[in-house]
Amino acid sequence: MNCQKLKDWFDERYDTSALKKFAGEKLVPSHRHDLWYYTGGIIVFLFSIQFITGMMLAFYYVPHADFAHKSIIEIVTKLNMGWFFRSLHHWGSQLTIFFLFVHLFAVLLLKSYRKPRELLWFSGFILLGIAVFFGLSGYLLLWDERAFAAVRVATGGSGALPIVGPFIKAFLRGGIDVTGETLTRFYAFHVSILPLATVFLMVLHVLLVQVHGMSVPLSLQERNLPQTPFFPNVVYKDMAVWLVVLGVTVTIATLFPPEIGQKADPLAPTPENIKPEWYFLFLFQTLKLFPGEILGLNGETIAILLISAGILALFILPLLDRKSRLGEKSTLFTLIGIVYLLYFLIMTLIGYLS
Amino acid sequence: MKLTVFLTFMTFFKVPLLWGQEAKQAIEVFPSTPFYQYIIYENLVIFWIAIIGLIVIIGMKLREIERVQKLGLDKTDHLSMRSD
Repeated sequence: MNCQKLKDWFDERYDTSALKKFAGEKLVPSHRHDLWYYTGGIIVFLFSIQFITGMMLAFYYVPHADFAHKSIIEIVTKLNMGWFFRSLHHWGSQLTIFFLFVHLFAVLLLKSYRKPRELLWFSGFILLGIAVFFGLSGYLLLWDERAFAAVRVATGGSGALPIVGPFIKAFLRGGIDVTGETLTRFYAFHVSILPLATVFLMVLHVLLVQVHGMSVPLSLQERNLPQTPFFPNVVYKDMAVWLVVLGVTVTIATLFPPEIGQKADPLAPTPENIKPEWYFLFLFQTLKLFPGEILGLNGETIAILLISAGILALFILPLLDRKSRLGEKSTLFTLIGIVYLLYFLIMTLIGYLS
Repeated sequence: MKLTVFLTFMTFFKVPLLWGQEAKQAIEVFPSTPFYQYIIYENLVIFWIAIIGLIVIIGMKLREIERVQKLGLDKTDHLSMRSD
């Protein structure tokens, strides 16, 4: 289909020559680690699926403690393909967070955060935090007994932080305990505040990638690497990868639709053997390692403080890694990255199996 | 006789049904009808065939683009081609 008239109409009004020139001249280095470049594109694609399926579910979801659970049952059992869109939204979120972690560890181990890409690291790190909060807030919207207990534990954990903890806990819950107020609050986060923040940060992140270009690992920086045109070569490869991701997401969504538990009852005891979502398992398992009291201090508070310090250290890593900033090899920070990765994997596995 | 029949019915049919109602049933999150299940799985297979087909087309297109780029034809001035 050739829309020459439409193109001419548009070109008469808007000068897009600079944009076309930029797209035509943009080059992507080819090397043995360039596979990791595609994880960023996959995340953008999965976020798009989340936005589309989320909007469709929002047409029928009722964000009220009395009707939320019933509305989801109706979406799944009465609406045409409702079960599929809910399942796609659920598995899309799991895969988004999975690929965000893959992207984070790839950037960490390839030192792509080094000067001048510090802002890329910070914006990406915040995006991961937002995606995790997306997962938590979306989980409560189900309003079943497991989601209720999980959010009670998660918001309760944040309350263990000294000084700001009680405020964060009360702010998240909208009161003393998890109630209908929390549901309304999490719904507002899930459908308005977090999507806006995500779009803003994602646009910023992509713009920064365009400004700085693709990062090349330190070990390959000196070499004269072959360059591939972004348009159309890399775009076509991205499209093929997205198709595979779409196929995998749809297949998992069809074969493993997520269960719906019984409606949340604030007065009922917490269900046995309750576990958080997989991306919280390493935190959950770390908390379990600490005794109730250490040297007269609350063990949970110490654990939360140590976890927060670990996350903060990872966040400011580009500022700490001076050698990488100067373009030198920094073995220490490679080891730190490996320790973070192994800790995350092992604790998640232990949490899953226990 | 009527009482015997009634009690037998209640014992073997009605009472177990009432017990069953008490037990919390899992909510169906996937169509349970075999006919719909068959359609869903069939569509999944067709979906994958379409995806593989599209990937093959993209691969062919990409190879063609790379061939043209190797020959250096993509750097030809479009205006001069149009005037020809």
